[in-house]
Amino acid sequence: MAFSAQRLTLGAQIPPSGSAHDRRSASAAASAPAHHLKCVLPFAKTPSPKPPTNWTRKKTLATFFSSALASAAGGGFLLHLSTPVPPPGNTGGGGGGGGGWGWGGFGGGDGGGFWSQIFSPLAAVAREEDPTGGGGPEWDSHGLPANIVVQLSKLSGFKRYKISEILFFDRRRGTTVAGTEDSFFEMVSLHPGGVHTKAQLQKELENLASCGMFEKVDLEGKTKPDGTLALTVSFTESTWQSADAFRCINVGLMAQTKQMEMDPDMTDREKLEYFRNQERDYRRRIDRSRPCLLPMPVQREVLQMLREQGKVSARLLQRIRDRVQKWYHDEGYACAQVVNFGNLNTREVVCEVVEGDVTQLVLQFQDKLGNVCEGNTQLAVVRREMPKQLRPGHVFNIEAGKQALRNINSLALFSNIEVNPRPDEKNDGGIIVEIKLKELEQQSAEVSTEWSIVPGQQGRPTLASIQPGGTVSFEHRNIKGLNRSIVGSVTSSNLLNPQDDLSFKLEYVHPYVDGVYNPRNRTFRASCFNNRKLSPVFTGGPGADEVPPVWIDRVGLKANITEAFTRQSKFTYGLVMEEITTRDETSSICTHGARALPIGGLSMDGPPTTLSGTGIDRMAFAQANITRDNTKFVNGVVVGERDVFQLDQGLGIGSKFPVFNRHQLTLTRFIQLKQVEEGAGKPPPPVLVLHGHYGGCVGDLPSYDAFTLGGPYSVRGYNMGELGACRNILELAAELRIPVKNTHIYAFAEHGNDLGSSKDLKGNPTEFFRRAGHGSSYGVGVKLGLVRAEYAVDHNAGAGAIFFRFGERF
Amino acid sequence: MASQLSREWFGIQQFPAATQSKLHELLGKLKQENVSTLTILVMGKGGVGKSSTVNSILGERVAAVSAFQSEGLRPLMCSRTRAGFTLNIIDTPGLVEGGYVNEQALEIIKRFLLNKTIDVLLYVDRLDAYRVDSLDRQVIKAITDTFGKRIWRRALVVLTHAQLSPPDGLNYDDFFAKRSETLLKYIRLGARIKKQEFEESVVPVVLVENSGRCKTNDNGEKILPDGTAWIPNLVEVITVVISNGSKPITVDQKLIDGPNPNERGKLFIPLILAFQYFFVVKRIQKAIKQDIAKESKPLWELRDMGLANRKF
Repeated sequence: MAFSAQRLTLGAQIPPSGSAHDRRSASAAASAPAHHLKCVLPFAKTPSPKPPTNWTRKKTLATFFSSALASAAGGGFLLHLSTPVPPPGNTGGGGGGGGGWGWGGFGGGDGGGFWSQIFSPLAAVAREEDPTGGGGPEWDSHGLPANIVVQLSKLSGFKRYKISEILFFDRRRGTTVAGTEDSFFEMVSLHPGGVHTKAQLQKELENLASCGMFEKVDLEGKTKPDGTLALTVSFTESTWQSADAFRCINVGLMAQTKQMEMDPDMTDREKLEYFRNQERDYRRRIDRSRPCLLPMPVQREVLQMLREQGKVSARLLQRIRDRVQKWYHDEGYACAQVVNFGNLNTREVVCEVVEGDVTQLVLQFQDKLGNVCEGNTQLAVVRREMPKQLRPGHVFNIEAGKQALRNINSLALFSNIEVNPRPDEKNDGGIIVEIKLKELEQQSAEVSTEWSIVPGQQGRPTLASIQPGGTVSFEHRNIKGLNRSIVGSVTSSNLLNPQDDLSFKLEYVHPYVDGVYNPRNRTFRASCFNNRKLSPVFTGGPGADEVPPVWIDRVGLKANITEAFTRQSKFTYGLVMEEITTRDETSSICTHGARALPIGGLSMDGPPTTLSGTGIDRMAFAQANITRDNTKFVNGVVVGERDVFQLDQGLGIGSKFPVFNRHQLTLTRFIQLKQVEEGAGKPPPPVLVLHGHYGGCVGDLPSYDAFTLGGPYSVRGYNMGELGACRNILELAAELRIPVKNTHIYAFAEHGNDLGSSKDLKGNPTEFFRRAGHGSSYGVGVKLGLVRAEYAVDHNAGAGAIFFRFGERF
Repeated sequence: MASQLSREWFGIQQFPAATQSKLHELLGKLKQENVSTLTILVMGKGGVGKSSTVNSILGERVAAVSAFQSEGLRPLMCSRTRAGFTLNIIDTPGLVEGGYVNEQALEIIKRFLLNKTIDVLLYVDRLDAYRVDSLDRQVIKAITDTFGKRIWRRALVVLTHAQLSPPDGLNYDDFFAKRSETLLKYIRLGARIKKQEFEESVVPVVLVENSGRCKTNDNGEKILPDGTAWIPNLVEVITVVISNGSKPITVDQKLIDGPNPNERGKLFIPLILAFQYFFVVKRIQKAIKQDIAKESKPLWELRDMGLANRKF
């Protein structure tokens, strides 16, 4: 679907301009309406400069399923900006619907010009009757001697003439208009090589005559020796007095003024009165109209066009219309339309624009078959996602439509979204923004399975390590139509022995804590969880013997409130209650880290794993996280700033009454090193990324909450925790990204330091496992899709290695 | 101490009369200063002669000594009383194993010493070891980490195997001076004591010869190459150290655990929290507000708000 221009028709009455040039004779001319011209500015060429209005966003919710319970959900998103249907009243052309309005008078000028346009269905008509049925030369020879000029009326009504040539002859200038790019050619539906009957040619002439561009127009055929006709359109272009001012007004939603019938028997005085009235009406109309959006630079451009031209000609007006409309369409005002030029024959040309004011915003739910139905979702939920530019009273912009689409899409409630502007039938010039939504199923469940392969000794996976794993999850979305949801999932990495490693998560999300109508956007979340992670605190230093792993099991409840300030910046605060159990390889509870002794045994006197020393800790603490993120994409690369401050505050509730303040501040800067032009397909700029991370803890700090140094998200080139575990941490990193073709290469240097705080951790795990406590690395890498391939040199050992990582470091 | 039976010090009677009278004199002096118990902790690397020294001091064979392997895997405390004076000597296993400080041994010693008061530490090493290396430093660091820096104000360095002929015709006194100097330097480094501070309270160095082939003087006292009888000398230096004004070290749970980093700064948490709220969270919030204000709006949005003034 596409936006096509809205069709508005205005009948126009243009007095014969021969008299209009003369002030004195204006009234006479007006009183003798020799012929009423109807202006039809063909608009058929519009499809080319259309904004890209059709795009589909597919998203797949489910990735890989075992077939039994599989349910794939997917949907397309359409910004469905379809062709507005012309208001029925206006299709007729002539005086229908809006009608024309005349203006003339003594004060401002004599004889108002006005013309308007309708979308001309000429082309279609011509084709319909085109008798090219069978292929072959289905036309008749004119049967006349060659090289004689034939009037249209002299042609035979029974013959089908082939037109081999079309010429435009400007009678005023006495020249033939050359060049097919001229605006005339687009008005004629005839094309060289076409076959037409007399009736069609007459209709064509009628159309040309009524379009308002010509004072007088004639169609002549010239016989050719080969039996075809060369058509000559001889015309006198309508022109008006030269103007040196330009004004653009927004007449959207204003009633079209009705042309007052002029009685041919009016006396001069009456006529004078009549024109005066018209002038006054127009003045009032201008005053009432709202200022248009057209910016000064474009207006100046138009003014320049007016000045260069001298006399205002129909073609000039057409060019002005094209220029103004182009600006509107380029800026996304897809419904904007130049409907009329008024005030002709005065010093000022008034361009009347209907910009496309939104008169109504309609939300509609559709069922699976596309029928309108009652939706489960409360309207306010969708409504608050709308940019206010889509509300009644604003000018419709396609970008606002796109934004609405994006915002609604981010609710993740609908499988199909259409944003569809259409003309308001009851309100001329108005636009009804129609949003059609297809809701997703409220409940869904899915199962996914996976195989995990764990590298064993020497990095090679063993057969025994290949384990089937899987996730079962269910979701109940959009409870009460307020986007509340319950999501649960159970994951096991070993389905054969699920009791070994079973993690679950159950989460309830309650958005709009402050009410759907409150602009404040706070979301309440409560979850209970269980997960198991390998503790990087109990890892050996470089070259050390294998350290017996310690698993950290966490089971707990979490409740927090997230306030979103922008799409990316947010503030979260809440409470966490959890039980932490530390286990060794055999899944039995362990209380202390172990280390292999030189004599072969295990030393079990390592750092305590828990605060209580029993291997099980329970605690409750407050948690807060504030994220400031103003990063944005510039030609596909991230540029901006991101600051995160995270705080865990112990409340003295739990084993050993833990009181602590554990805080982390992360600052990341993505600095654009070169100004580039933004736009699709333009090259991205080189970016320098600076990153700093400080973490610290005052008070009780169990080993599982200690900060660890080393790893792909800490100091690259080292293993997780290879550099140490500490109470205070400082990490600094810099990365230079240089775009190459579709991807980028980068060089980085990183440093991590424990600030001498390793000894402040009970049992000093850094020293116990013979780790350095600090380290630097540097390297280069290349981004290959989602994967980063990098060569990093570990500065402590001086050795380099190649790593493959998923995702971004920052 | 309660668990240990303190026996009468019979061993003292085996000493020559001159030594006995000297010891009695020193003990009497201590008693005058209201010291009736003396606890001596003997520590050092393995095989330097800790147990032998203990045996020599007591004049009894309390600690098993063997020439080629370390016997003591557990600390051993001997208590002897004599005329109302109690002498406790704690012999400990060697602190080094496999080129590293044996933390396990240290752990056992710590636990053994729980609730005891240490008056004097004897840090034992050999005089005839020529080199001092990082291992010595680690051992000293381990001792310091366990008992704190102030243990060195109550410490003596005991150099065993004193009866030796220095290599390459070095003068005995020069050799001794050099050896003790380097060792003390390592103690200073290992214990991370400031130079000046260390100079103010010098750790005395005492020579000891436990060998049965030790020369004796006319009174039958074991003497060093320079002629001093070393047992009375050692005890005398011990009494000097005791009376240098420093406090004996009481080993309690707190000392064993070391300073608890979890307790440090706990009182300041409310202040830290307030600081974080007002200076970090508030600042970031402000920055977010600025971001929102500064956000470059697309032109169509500006036009809609009427801010464009028809400029673009």
